[in-house]
Amino acid sequence: MSTAEQVRAFRGMTRAGTRSVLIYRGDLITGAVTLVIQVVLAIAVWRIVYSGRGPVDGVDARTAVAYAAIAACLQSVLLPWQFSSLPMRIRNGQIATDLTRPLGLIWQVFGQNLGVLLGRLPLGAIGLAAAAILGALTLPPGWAAGLLSLVATVGGVLVAMLCNLIVSMVTFWTFEVSGPLIVYRFGSAFLSGSLIPLWFMPGWLRASVEWLPFQAQVYTPVSIYLGQTRGGQALALVGVQLVWVVLLTVLLELVWRRARYRVVVQGG
Amino acid sequence: MAEQTWLRQYVILERAALRAQLQYRVNFWTTLMGGVAYQGTQLLFLGVLLGKFGLIGGWGFSEVAFVFAMRLASHALYVVPFGSLRLTDEMVRDGEFDRVLLRPVNPFLQLVTRMFPLMSLGDALLGLGALVIFGLQAPVDWTPAKIGYLILAVIGGGLVETGIQTFFCGLSFVATSTFSLRIFADTSITQFSGYPLTMFGRATFYAFCTLFPMAFISFLPATVLLGRTSDVPLPTLLTTLSPLAGTVVFVLGYTFFTKMMPRYTSPGS
Repeated sequence: MSTAEQVRAFRGMTRAGTRSVLIYRGDLITGAVTLVIQVVLAIAVWRIVYSGRGPVDGVDARTAVAYAAIAACLQSVLLPWQFSSLPMRIRNGQIATDLTRPLGLIWQVFGQNLGVLLGRLPLGAIGLAAAAILGALTLPPGWAAGLLSLVATVGGVLVAMLCNLIVSMVTFWTFEVSGPLIVYRFGSAFLSGSLIPLWFMPGWLRASVEWLPFQAQVYTPVSIYLGQTRGGQALALVGVQLVWVVLLTVLLELVWRRARYRVVVQGG
Repeated sequence: MAEQTWLRQYVILERAALRAQLQYRVNFWTTLMGGVAYQGTQLLFLGVLLGKFGLIGGWGFSEVAFVFAMRLASHALYVVPFGSLRLTDEMVRDGEFDRVLLRPVNPFLQLVTRMFPLMSLGDALLGLGALVIFGLQAPVDWTPAKIGYLILAVIGGGLVETGIQTFFCGLSFVATSTFSLRIFADTSITQFSGYPLTMFGRATFYAFCTLFPMAFISFLPATVLLGRTSDVPLPTLLTTLSPLAGTVVFVLGYTFFTKMMPRYTSPGS
């Protein structure tokens, strides 16, 4: 297949992924309601914790509330419950058909996951709108910070998608992957800083979290957006994201190379 | 079939379901860890938050952690025996529910034994552990009566959650997908039932007592044990009776389920 055709095929997978999200309107609406309630409650919790207090660790109430709201929205877009159909395809043997397609399996799944993510963007937007109505959002300190946080969001998305893919690959060995996925999902919810920003973590915890790829998913873009991480430090965080993208890509390639020989077509 | 064989039927079906799940060893252990990770992150969050801020809504960590532990233990009582209820809406959508209707066993019983929710064992482990640890650390002078009340409250809480989930199962017969709704219930209960619910303001608190009866799961009985009933804008007698709410919610949920079941339409026919 020529590159142009491959790109077309990839876009086809992405579209299919998006459609798979958008087709369940009812789920989308309840998903939006869920996120809004979560955002509203998260805002309430942080406002209550701060009630009448000055800045804690140099972070004022406004920043902490905005962080909680934005992080909840970003998290809900990045880590949907069913982010990949790969485990299901391996289990029911559909993987055989997938492997005969002219587009590599990794790209197929990557395209589909990207589609799911795009399909969930409106959800995140609704969550952010709710936060804005409640006066919980703040603007970035300047153009540079705003732009850099956009770059960091893309970096975070890449890191999240690579992590998701690597975890899904475990299915080639275990056939059932709901366990690892759940550990991953909830572990990363905390470690990505979407429940609580790294600023408030005790030193030892923060130091360990900084060595993991998860903080690159949520903490990095949001803290840059809010101007809590600025200048050289912000650039360094984006650099860390880049390093993770490279490392995880290599890891994914290694895992996939071994997985290829593990493929068992069930029900074949 | 005779009524008294219900429990036996349950045991047989649940054992088969457990065997099916144990086929995947690695998954068994990781799922168990998944249960611990899911709830553990929540506890970690509360620990970090209160470690920094000291109080939330006037409650300290030992109290909040106790409410959290009660909630977790209640959750385990729902999720270990009834956890596979969450599969109902998928079964209704795929038409697998046809099979349920053809068998001579109560449909509800078949639904709860559809799949053994392995992750729940992690929840149960953490729930019991947390209840013992945080129960001892909570500012409560434990007497046999209080322990009895605690047990009743935990069972009641489990029934509230089961009732809510059973209600959703009933809803799945008329709505195509209740997935998000159930995720919503799960996440709200997980994320917010650990807080002193009165801190969200009166209107929200009353909603948690009626529309979405989360307050009964652990918060209301916990205020009784912690001697904080004065925090609650309800008559003390009602608060004290809160463990009974479980039965009420469950009966309501189950009635709704049986009322809605005849409206099931087999897809593709």
